Amino acid sequence: MSSLLSTVNSDNGRHGNGDTSGGDGRDLILHFLDKVRFSATRDAKEDEGEESPTELNTINSAGGFLVVSPDKLSVKYTSTNLHGHDVGVVQANKPAPFKCLTYYFEIFVKDSGAKGQVAIGFTKENFKMRRQPGWEVNSCGYHGDDGYLYRGQGKGEAFGPTYTKDDTVGGGINYATQEFFFTKNGALVGKVPKDIRGHLFPTVAVHSQNEEVSVNFGQKKYVFDIEGYEASERNKQQMAIEKISIPPNIGYGLIKTYLLHYGYEETLNAFNLATKTTVPPICIAQENAIDEDDSSYALNQRKTLRQLVRNGEIDAALTGLRDWYPQLVQDDKSVVCFLLHCQKFIELVRVGKLEEGVKYGRLELAKFVGLARFQDIVEECFALLVYEKPEESSVGYFLEDSQRELVADAVNAAILSTNPNKKNEQRSCNLHSPLEKLLRQLTVCCLERRSLNGDQGETFRLHHVLNNNRTRR
Amino acid sequence: MATSKKVITREEWEKKLNAVKLRKEDMNTLVMNFLVTEGYVEAAEKFQRESGTKPEIDLATITDRMAVKKAVQNGNVEDAIEKVNDLNPEILDTNPELFFHLQQQRLIELIRQGRTEEALEFAQEELAPRGEENTASEVNAAILTSQSHEKDPKLPSLLKMLIWAQKQLDEKAVYPHINDLSTGQLEDPSE
Repeated sequence: MSSLLSTVNSDNGRHGNGDTSGGDGRDLILHFLDKVRFSATRDAKEDEGEESPTELNTINSAGGFLVVSPDKLSVKYTSTNLHGHDVGVVQANKPAPFKCLTYYFEIFVKDSGAKGQVAIGFTKENFKMRRQPGWEVNSCGYHGDDGYLYRGQGKGEAFGPTYTKDDTVGGGINYATQEFFFTKNGALVGKVPKDIRGHLFPTVAVHSQNEEVSVNFGQKKYVFDIEGYEASERNKQQMAIEKISIPPNIGYGLIKTYLLHYGYEETLNAFNLATKTTVPPICIAQENAIDEDDSSYALNQRKTLRQLVRNGEIDAALTGLRDWYPQLVQDDKSVVCFLLHCQKFIELVRVGKLEEGVKYGRLELAKFVGLARFQDIVEECFALLVYEKPEESSVGYFLEDSQRELVADAVNAAILSTNPNKKNEQRSCNLHSPLEKLLRQLTVCCLERRSLNGDQGETFRLHHVLNNNRTRR
Repeated sequence: MATSKKVITREEWEKKLNAVKLRKEDMNTLVMNFLVTEGYVEAAEKFQRESGTKPEIDLATITDRMAVKKAVQNGNVEDAIEKVNDLNPEILDTNPELFFHLQQQRLIELIRQGRTEEALEFAQEELAPRGEENTASEVNAAILTSQSHEKDPKLPSLLKMLIWAQKQLDEKAVYPHINDLSTGQLEDPSE
């Protein structure tokens, strides 16, 4: 025991200077403070709304050749076209949003005019507004008179049918596959690789007398079933994923190590008992790979303390810690002590013992006020006293079940860090269960790929995957 | 397309990994989903108590579902059919294939019990190529679907997604992989 203590003490000394790069338990537990801060902000952060095009841009259009209607949703060529540099081009007021799977808009040809030289496409902000989309580099357009697709290479390529008066034509971007796609009267015409980076504006062009086109940026129902298209694109991806093979029953081992890691001992026992008879032996072989000794370290004590914290019995939890792991509570200003004292305060507020809460706060929490790493959390905690209904306030997250779970996790992590069989570097690996490591890797891979795609496409959020999957199938 | 791949060092990568905000509730939801879908009702009950995670369906329905599964596994096909019909008579009506498999299973049981002649006629026509474990999971899945619950747990899909996501990123970058799904150990980039 004494050698254990001295190891821990020397660790404390080494990392007491706020260096967070080390692998010692105390610093690992620091990240629980960030978790507290994260709970405070997460709901606000979730929805980063992106603006979508709503109407045509009347300022940037090719003035003189065309007239945009007062509602800014239709455009008419009013001049007589003489050459290739008097096209009437108009862009949407905003670029296509890109933090999504697809962007899509439609046009309706009200009048095909003298020659029917209508076009739909996407252009960059600095596009020459007197040229057809697709005639210049960094633009793309599907033209009505020949059904060709132009991609800035001088001449077009055979693409789809022509379109004219009374036709509805759509233009879209699929960010997952990095392709443009076009539709006519509700049917997909085709798709081409999108090799233009950066913001793209939905664009329409008219180029002969009396040609008139209206646009639909989603204010009306689209003729093309864009939801269905998105669903089938998602499905394609899903099918590709489902085809991948993984070792059978790999899930069982991951569930077990997760339960072990967090000290859900009773669940683990029930799970072990149930799987003993039903799961094929292949999983047993896997189980040998799990270092039972290491992961079941102090399992029973971790379970007991977790239960105490979850039940709000913070005094008992502190007593338990003092008895079993005095080194963890020796420093009264450690993260674990801080979180437990906060929780005790929170529990007093929960049951309405405000006066006792104030006393407790003065006695146990005041000492953290001057410490930069704790200050903001202490202040938010004290703010619970201000509200008549604290659970509905901006600091209401303290009273949620997740806060208890978080404190229980911090205690659990602190105990795991005392495992003398683990070297420092292993301890840092040990902060997360294998299941969590996999999900972190998954998240970072998705985010990184998206960032290498110019941040286009949907963001991966585990929370959404877990909660939306049902509607996607 | 000879663009060079972005190289991400282990240190940079670990920084990114640590910056991921995983919600504990989501992890717990994933675990609960596994326990519920695979039918570990007692573990699910304990987990609800130990972690405060609410199961997505009534745990009592798991017990019924598991009783059916067990009946099939033990060869009590008649019992299983009866139990399924008690749960929801539409399940077998809307899954003729499943009903057929259950009948096949019944035949196999007859043969096992030595009542060969009874069974032989039908069995010669359609001998079941599948074992009772398959039929049992089939029943399990059909009941789950009837309860508008997904028949597969989400965990394996996420693991497949991880392999897929790593492959996708391989096209654009060199970075540390996880190849051993059971430990989640990070391995240095091979280049």
